[in-house]
Amino acid sequence: MTDRPSVLVPVRVLEGESIPEGVPELLSTAHVVLLGYHVIPDQTAPGQARMQFEEQAIERLDEFEEIFTDAGATVERRLVFTHDGQKTINRFIREEDCLAVLVPNATGSVEDVLVAVRGTVGIDRLARLVAGVFGPIDASVTLFHVGSDDETDADAETLLDAAADRLADLGVAESAIETRLDRDRGPLDAITETAREYDAVVMGETDPSLATFVFGMPADQVAERFFGPVLVVQREPPAESEE
Amino acid sequence: MDDQPAGSTGQNVAGEVPDEEPQAVTDETTVHDDDVELERTIGLSGGLAIGVGTMIGAGIFVFPGLAAENAGLAATLSFAIGGVVALLVALPTSELATAMPRSGGGYYFISRGLGTGIGAIVGLGLWLGLVFASAFYLVGLGHYATAVLAEVGVSLGIDPVIAIGLVFGVALTALSIGGTENTAAIQNVVVGILLVVLTAFLSYGVLDALGVFGRSTTPETFFSQGYFPVLTTAALVFTSYLGFAQVATVAGEIKEPSRNLPLAMVGSVVIVTVFYVVTIFVATSAFGADRLGQFGETAMVEVARDLLGVPGAVAILVAGLLATFSSANASILSASRAVYALSRDALLPRRASEINLRYGTPHVALLAAGGPILVLVATGKVELLAEVASFLHLVMYALLCVTVIVLRRRDPAWYTPTYRTPGSPVLPAIGALASVALIVFMQLESILIGVAVMVVSYVWYRYYAADVSLRGDI
Repeated sequence: MTDRPSVLVPVRVLEGESIPEGVPELLSTAHVVLLGYHVIPDQTAPGQARMQFEEQAIERLDEFEEIFTDAGATVERRLVFTHDGQKTINRFIREEDCLAVLVPNATGSVEDVLVAVRGTVGIDRLARLVAGVFGPIDASVTLFHVGSDDETDADAETLLDAAADRLADLGVAESAIETRLDRDRGPLDAITETAREYDAVVMGETDPSLATFVFGMPADQVAERFFGPVLVVQREPPAESEE
Repeated sequence: MDDQPAGSTGQNVAGEVPDEEPQAVTDETTVHDDDVELERTIGLSGGLAIGVGTMIGAGIFVFPGLAAENAGLAATLSFAIGGVVALLVALPTSELATAMPRSGGGYYFISRGLGTGIGAIVGLGLWLGLVFASAFYLVGLGHYATAVLAEVGVSLGIDPVIAIGLVFGVALTALSIGGTENTAAIQNVVVGILLVVLTAFLSYGVLDALGVFGRSTTPETFFSQGYFPVLTTAALVFTSYLGFAQVATVAGEIKEPSRNLPLAMVGSVVIVTVFYVVTIFVATSAFGADRLGQFGETAMVEVARDLLGVPGAVAILVAGLLATFSSANASILSASRAVYALSRDALLPRRASEINLRYGTPHVALLAAGGPILVLVATGKVELLAEVASFLHLVMYALLCVTVIVLRRRDPAWYTPTYRTPGSPVLPAIGALASVALIVFMQLESILIGVAVMVVSYVWYRYYAADVSLRGDI
């Protein structure tokens, strides 16, 4: 395997979704796991959909694969017929050990990126992704933290500085790294508002809870309101779990 | 023939060839050509819901009156016999399913194990068997809906049972074709509600029957109608055990098939057997077999009314509607899966499994299920529909048992089940004999219709796809 960060790019391949402008360039130094999937209703057997749509879907995936390869990425591709798109995406994150999932939105050339840092947990994966994807294209990286009430500015700065050091260790030019602190706003609003000034967003996955069940994952909500690409960094897979 | 390369050959009249077998089967997917995967999305609870949901409707909500009339209190024994036979078949079927976790269920296993001709008879028989079963459930549904109307005091000039069955048949088919809502999730919820309602009701009923509430029950001779009706009744009510094979028709979509398929099939048989036996016990204890028989299809409503008053009757009416509805729904979907499996193997035109571009559903296959169902519902003959459905399934069950014995003996390289049925070849042989034995106790009319279906199936195969030869390859 490469030391390129693996990024999952899920595409609903038969519903006209394609790879938006700018995304191949953004991921040119990543290992792209290209997942073409097609969601079918329960009444339909997945094999039935395969018989009818396989050729067409493979043709499109071929095109997409070529776009990524031409841009310089390494590509692993798969076509899946499924009743449950989310289950398929989760399986790929696990099986292919993906650092992040891309919510594809079009972008121009990426010059700056907003990286939401929530806490120390998972910071290593976050740093690996940012360094791997944005380091080589010399984008300026802004580490962004939204302070909570029981957290002093000093705490927050320590956190952001630690993250900056990690990035520098991984080869990102120190001059390209900025830190930015916000408070008195919900993290979600803060990220969405601030993101407007940037070309892309990197953020962490949120633990599922009642709120995420009702309102959807924050990452999806950000992606909906922000018109550029969002990379959602995935939690560390649990070390060899039960079974 | 084991030396020949695996894989299916030949083509049908239209020049279509069987679809290629997949390369590999994992816990989560079926893999074709390296990079095309079919996701497995049905877990154990989903599998159980298909099995239990298909079965529980008939045994509890349609048969108690009919069975008690035929066999008296010994109808409990009839249901127990049915359960044992179902279990004897479910175990070998589980073995086959773990060796070949592909959609199409019994048809797939037999066509790969015993040859294409027999497979074609079973496959077409499975499709039509499910059609007969769905029609039977819909007529049952009609009886319940009619009882609901009677309960609220609406009286129609005509007997609305068949009309209601037809309306629901049309509605179900249309919903399956045009519905985008999550049908599997709905099925799970319906089955969950049913089991809760039934458990509560039956627990009360058992306590009552045992005299806990101080009422006198109707003690009775166990074999009030003699011994022979016990067996004919077992044959009749076997329709209530047709659901576990439906689990196998979606075998290609079950997660961790080597664990979940056996658990779902055997588990659902055990669950419904317990429910059936207890139900008949409670029902006959409340009324005695003779009076129960007079109530016919909706006898359980009267039992509930007797035990718990009007609220009980309403609860059971609603449960009956849900149960027969879910049985009919599950059977239509399974029938459409059977059509898909046949057309994948070029035994039916490829067009039959075509997917509607607007809804993403297999409209031809669903209509191939829904259309004949309406014709059969129109006959309104509950017992005949039930027996023909049982007949066609029992033929498949017997052959499933034979398939296990044959495959164990031949032991082809691709046959590596992760679950092995106990007591082979003795228990599978008993399962096969028991299945055939139940057929013997059916009415002549049912047997004739069943045989006719099989003959037509074979003629179709000789005409349409005589050249096709199917082989197992995973």
